[in-house]
Amino acid sequence: MVVVVPYLHPVGIPLILLSSLVVAADSTICKVVSGATVFYCCCRILFVRMVTVKWLEDNCFLVKNEKSEQLKHSHFFLQGMNFPIYCCGSQSLEEDTSFEGLSCIAEEEQSMLDAFLLSQWEDRMWKGCFRYDVTTSEIKVIAGKMKFFSQLNEAQITDHLAKSEGTLPAWDHFVFDGMKHPEELLFCLAGSKKAKSELIHVASVPDSAILVIINVTPVEYGHVYLVPCTSNRRYQHLDARTVEMVTRIAAEINNHSFRVFYNCYRPNCSDVYFQACYFSDPLPVEFRPVDTLLSGGRRGIHICSVIDYPIKTISFQTTRNLKIMAVAISEICSHLEEKNVQYNLMISDSGKKIFLFLQQPFAASHAISAWECGGYFLFKNRYEFDEVTEDAMLKRLSCFSLNDNDFEAVKQLCCSIASKFDI
Amino acid sequence: MDSKLDLIQQSFNTRYSQRVREALNELPDNFTITDPSISGHPIVFASGGFLKMSGYSQEEVIGQNGKIFQGPKTHRRTVMEIREAIREERGIQVNLLNYRKDGTPFWMLFHMSPVFGKEDGRVTHFVAVQVPITRNHGRNGGVSLSEDGSGLNEIVFGSCRREVGSDSSLELGRVLCLDTGSKVLDIEETCEASDLEKGRAAIAFNSILSVLTDYSKLTGRLVCGKRRSVPGAGYISSSLNISLGRIKQSFVLIDPHLPGMPIVYASDAFLKLTGYDRHEALGLNFRDLNGVDTDTSTLHQINESIQTERACTVRILSYRKDKSSFWNCLHLSPVRNASGKIAYFVGVQIEEDSKNHDRHGLSPEMRQLSAVGAVKVAVRSLSLGAGPAGSSKS
Repeated sequence: MVVVVPYLHPVGIPLILLSSLVVAADSTICKVVSGATVFYCCCRILFVRMVTVKWLEDNCFLVKNEKSEQLKHSHFFLQGMNFPIYCCGSQSLEEDTSFEGLSCIAEEEQSMLDAFLLSQWEDRMWKGCFRYDVTTSEIKVIAGKMKFFSQLNEAQITDHLAKSEGTLPAWDHFVFDGMKHPEELLFCLAGSKKAKSELIHVASVPDSAILVIINVTPVEYGHVYLVPCTSNRRYQHLDARTVEMVTRIAAEINNHSFRVFYNCYRPNCSDVYFQACYFSDPLPVEFRPVDTLLSGGRRGIHICSVIDYPIKTISFQTTRNLKIMAVAISEICSHLEEKNVQYNLMISDSGKKIFLFLQQPFAASHAISAWECGGYFLFKNRYEFDEVTEDAMLKRLSCFSLNDNDFEAVKQLCCSIASKFDI
Repeated sequence: MDSKLDLIQQSFNTRYSQRVREALNELPDNFTITDPSISGHPIVFASGGFLKMSGYSQEEVIGQNGKIFQGPKTHRRTVMEIREAIREERGIQVNLLNYRKDGTPFWMLFHMSPVFGKEDGRVTHFVAVQVPITRNHGRNGGVSLSEDGSGLNEIVFGSCRREVGSDSSLELGRVLCLDTGSKVLDIEETCEASDLEKGRAAIAFNSILSVLTDYSKLTGRLVCGKRRSVPGAGYISSSLNISLGRIKQSFVLIDPHLPGMPIVYASDAFLKLTGYDRHEALGLNFRDLNGVDTDTSTLHQINESIQTERACTVRILSYRKDKSSFWNCLHLSPVRNASGKIAYFVGVQIEEDSKNHDRHGLSPEMRQLSAVGAVKVAVRSLSLGAGPAGSSKS
């Protein structure tokens, strides 16, 4: 009898890392003086992966002792550097009748943002910016009614084998270093007052932008971090504007393969960021039957609870107004954070549908990623990959799931918040 | 747009001859026929009955995607199920809420099934029969769960069972509706087709299939309702065809596992650029685009790139069908399937003379790379497992 513990994909946590701070690490725990530790359970061994966004102002940048002080200026590292800027037109969020049509086969022409993101990602692949070619990893469907996906990510194994003895090699930290690796920042997204979206090839990063940074250890093709960035505020909690921006990105990309993920599990409250990638097939959770909790009006939000699924899940859907859904979701999320409920978000269907996965309260020392909640598991070696069973995955998800009573409360919370926006 | 209509005409005429339309129109049923190999998966034929039912004219429907009939109350889940069936190239029977041209919704039983080319096993068309659901038949307890093959022939697939099982929220909706004693039929309520309607749809499909089969004999390009496995033919599944159809650049896929490494997919833009018809382009070898003045060292570079499974960019003199030449900035890249194995090589062409930015301000090089990215995403799909992905485990 083999108990398979699936490999948890490293979840990136950007944090501000002062250059003078010492990073001490061993094979089980990574300590960073400035703050964040992330634990990964990897086949019964705890692995640590730290993702660091290193904000650098410029060469004469002085290290300040006040961390918060530094965070305030997190955006300054981009000053003086130019990147392509994609300005989302206001049109994409306004009530748009074309939005109502369901894309049956999503056969519309590729959108500009979709083409641009893919071209930039492929360009970095061509230039060898990634640790491995993620398309060489094998994916299969786990036999059973859920049709869970599993991926064998052997490239990740080599990473882990390499560092299984002694200290973590330096490259295990994903450091986005604006000075050293500016090529990892693909482009920035910003809101625009103009109706139509446009691409500015070279410009300095505007205030309140979202940085699109490659994940050099991708889970699937097109894996990027979406990092909100502003000069005067730190993103510790999801705010409505960020959710709205990210939803808007999904809408603008308008590709049914594109999914955006958010993991609320951020130890020591590092900054907020999203991740996104292209999954050619819908994730298993998207096929599960649902129970309608709130059927919003014409402009409202349709809320369902996913039934017959091991992790408690609620889906939100709107046909018309992304903005209202974003506001409602961010309000729900901040309530959940107050109540210490761990959650993940997955945005699919070009921004029209958002899944909320509910995990056990923060007491647990770790949490699972949003794609795992969606039914996509990563394995580090062939044996585990070959031997995985649906039962094991069902057990795994259900042991992270929120309990029934709390789920009822969350359902009520979602409905009462969303119904405020029903017009 | 004209070229698309030409493709649509071709799609039907080269396969079934011109006269098939008359024969199909003699059938009383409501149905549409779509071609997944044309970009946008458009309707290439709509029966008279269908036009009458939907209120659209022939011209308004041909070239459109089936989604134009859907509206705000159409269940997204059902649409996804249909999308899945298309991806997996199998039949499906579901209850679907569609909209007429005047905006009025109506429930119908949607019965769709693929038609395969006999010679290569490729899906040539999808036939979608639509039977309006009459609402006055008895609702014994609300559910008619008798779809387990009773009285229905083989082409009714297990999808009904799945549909009933998975839409329990809708079931609930109906139960609630009955509880309140409401006699007014709300369109939000799910409508369940009766066995009679299911049977009718299946019979209609059979008669359409037999017309198509008969007429395909006239052209010698036979079709059938079941896929024959054709070893080594290297067809592209319709779901891949549809995903690839979104990509507007000129590109081809070649299958390195087949003898001679033939082109197995050619985009519309490639056909336009080179002047070949689709059926001529498929099966061509990359070499067929070369001519007397093509530099052999560049050809070596391409071969080496294929041998070493690496991407390359070259500038090569290529030849159209009419033997006129153009400078081709070709980017070639291996494309891997869900197993992580190389399934194809994608070759994206840019004609050097037409190197200007598109309306979005993306450079041709960006467009080229975005096409490669989009192809890589499409080919990673697990639903292609039964297709060429399976045969390429070399």
